[in-house]
Amino acid sequence: MPQTGDIKRRIKSVNSINKITKAMEMVAAAKMRRAIEAVLKTRTYANLSWETVLNLAAMSSARHEPLHPLLAPRSGIKKVAIVLVMPNRGLCGSLASALLAKVRYSIDKHLQNELGEKIATEFILLGRKGEIVRRYGYEVAADFAKADLVTDSTDAHPVFKLLIDEFLSGKYDKVLLAYTDFINAVKQRPQVKQLLPINLAERTLGVMGRESAAVVSAEMIEAKHREHVNVGQFAREYLFEPDATTVLDNSIPKLIQVQLYQAMLEANASEHSARMAAMHQASQAASDMAGELTMFFNKARQASITAEIAEISAGANALS
Amino acid sequence: MDKLIKFEIVTPERIVLKESVLQASIPTTTGEITILPGHLPLISIVKAGVLELKKADGQAEVMAVSGGLLEVLTDKIVILADTAETAAELDETRIMEARAKAEILKQEKVGDVKAFAQATALLDKEMARHHAVRRWKKIKNIESIN
Repeated sequence: MPQTGDIKRRIKSVNSINKITKAMEMVAAAKMRRAIEAVLKTRTYANLSWETVLNLAAMSSARHEPLHPLLAPRSGIKKVAIVLVMPNRGLCGSLASALLAKVRYSIDKHLQNELGEKIATEFILLGRKGEIVRRYGYEVAADFAKADLVTDSTDAHPVFKLLIDEFLSGKYDKVLLAYTDFINAVKQRPQVKQLLPINLAERTLGVMGRESAAVVSAEMIEAKHREHVNVGQFAREYLFEPDATTVLDNSIPKLIQVQLYQAMLEANASEHSARMAAMHQASQAASDMAGELTMFFNKARQASITAEIAEISAGANALS
Repeated sequence: MDKLIKFEIVTPERIVLKESVLQASIPTTTGEITILPGHLPLISIVKAGVLELKKADGQAEVMAVSGGLLEVLTDKIVILADTAETAAELDETRIMEARAKAEILKQEKVGDVKAFAQATALLDKEMARHHAVRRWKKIKNIESIN
């Protein structure tokens, strides 16, 4: 039978762990509320602008030459950049590891391009926990700091500028965006989505925050073509005012930046929700454990009293 | 039955308005354009100004926008605006104060190219709001304060 003093010490330490995790849960809950508010506010805007981009891409793919360099599909991909949006801190359950697993899976699936050449991958990190990819031996091209609570769309600007410049200069042939989609407070889904070039053939272009698998199906592309490109025998085109170059130069980068910003918001809301859930579980486990230990402590105390009484009465019996 | 077209205007903050309209007049960089149902697909850049709609019941709706992107599809109009508000939400006295402030700010920033551009954009936005309120009051026959 263990000493009651030992058990008492353990109860005390479990209780103080409980206090800490409770406090962390409350902090996470407050941050979560703000993050969710931010993510839901911009989601309609982001999804509508993504639809516009898809419409433009459908339009562009029906032409012989692409409307804009960002809409042009590329073949013979040699270098891919992955923007990895990770949490700043740990203690958020399996959020980071699930995202990482998804990213590694998609890298392993695309090791070679259609010409049989090796595809190199570089990471652009957002958030401190992204560091971990170095340990797996991946190249890191840039490491950006991310605010704990992203609320300003200018946060996405430096990352976006780097991406556009490197993509247009031809350093990267493809840019992927890896983040965690916020579905609800208890459910988050890791997501790897192609950001550049905008290519309708890619099935991973989807809108954000949907419960169902967010993919663009071949039928949807077909429908878009029917709806907007081909009416009867005439190929229908968008009118651009003043002209295509001005409008697209002005709008496409903005629309894509919105996607990046939205991904940061989604990741943020996911992080705080996941942390709150993890801390809630930890608090629950700590109070369960404290309860068990208290029971154990009482038993041990009772046992020692019983033993003492037994000894005394045995001694008394021996004397009489 | 008159033909309707779906109209949706969103900003990063919220969905400002979503309903079917008879027509929409939108300020773009190439001048104000009016979209009727059955318009060809069009993409254009919205500039700061007053946006006017004719709702299904024939009532007018006036809005102030500060810029964005306009997309017209065969069956709907989508505006991705930087900021937008309906005239009914705006308060004229406060706009006039904000406008005066923006004018002073613009004068101060002469010389600093980036800050001047920002101040000009701000002033355009406040002026668009002001015009929207005036237009709204004119339509609704409300006495304007000046």
